[in-house]
Amino acid sequence: MHEFSLAQNLLGQLLELAAQHQARKIIRVEVQLGESSNIVADSFQFGFDVLSKENEICRSAKLVLQPTAGNDLILAQVEME
Amino acid sequence: MCDSCHCTETTKSDSEKKIIEVHESLFAANNEKALANKKLFAAAGAVVINMISSPGAGKTTLLEQTIDHLAGTLSIGVIEGDIETERDADRIRAKGVPAVQITTGGACHLDAGLIHTGMHKLMAQGNKFDIIFIENVGNLVCPASFYLGEDLRMVLLSVPEGSDKPAKYPGAFKTSDLYAITKTDLLPYFDFSMEEARKEALQLNPELQILELAAPKGTGLSAWIDTLQNLINGKN
Repeated sequence: MHEFSLAQNLLGQLLELAAQHQARKIIRVEVQLGESSNIVADSFQFGFDVLSKENEICRSAKLVLQPTAGNDLILAQVEME
Repeated sequence: MCDSCHCTETTKSDSEKKIIEVHESLFAANNEKALANKKLFAAAGAVVINMISSPGAGKTTLLEQTIDHLAGTLSIGVIEGDIETERDADRIRAKGVPAVQITTGGACHLDAGLIHTGMHKLMAQGNKFDIIFIENVGNLVCPASFYLGEDLRMVLLSVPEGSDKPAKYPGAFKTSDLYAITKTDLLPYFDFSMEEARKEALQLNPELQILELAAPKGTGLSAWIDTLQNLINGKN
């Protein structure tokens, strides 16, 4: 149920990072998804794909979800230009 | 390098591509707010319990019975979470206990930010509390992902819901400290295996303390009240 709001948080963080590093475009985003996080990977991916189209900087960003142990959702790495 | 002058200029994409290592939880903002909540709870002198269950498992009823038992001996506050209506807070207020209703308007869980605002409202009704109950939005899934700064997390499962729910909805059972099986007076009328309900929850979380309750009948209430009292004594 809250995958969309988490995807929204992620996009907010990506826009901040892009501004910090004066990037024009986010290319690839790697997120570690804990197996006990109660977050549905497909829904999170869907939320990201829909919401990322709302701004130019993230429009073509590719989200890569890496399954990990634990219950957290961690923004690991961002590739930008 | 361009073909005309053999300069060493690389393409834009090569020179400007950056890889930033972040390694930050997407729950970081919530967790920071939860730590701020912890300070507010400490300022109020309160032990705080986050109650998680499906809708209708008996959270509000257990609170009503708890208030009846502890009235006059402990100072209690309640923060209620629901999608709509003040009904649960009204039930608590009818018992003479300060209550704040948070209506999420659709969100399926309480987060630390909502509790922070709710806590300020509760503290406007009383400075000191022995115990504050947070009754989360009725949902066995999403509330488990959001730490609110609580001292103890409890999950409730009522007999009519079925004894297979810990295995089906593991998150709330894995992250809780206390597990209350409620409405045990209905056991004769439902196909509910107490053994399965206990065993499968303990497989997920061997540290879980388990209580069996039928609050309106008073069954199991003394063990529940002892648990609360121990929690308060441990904090002081």
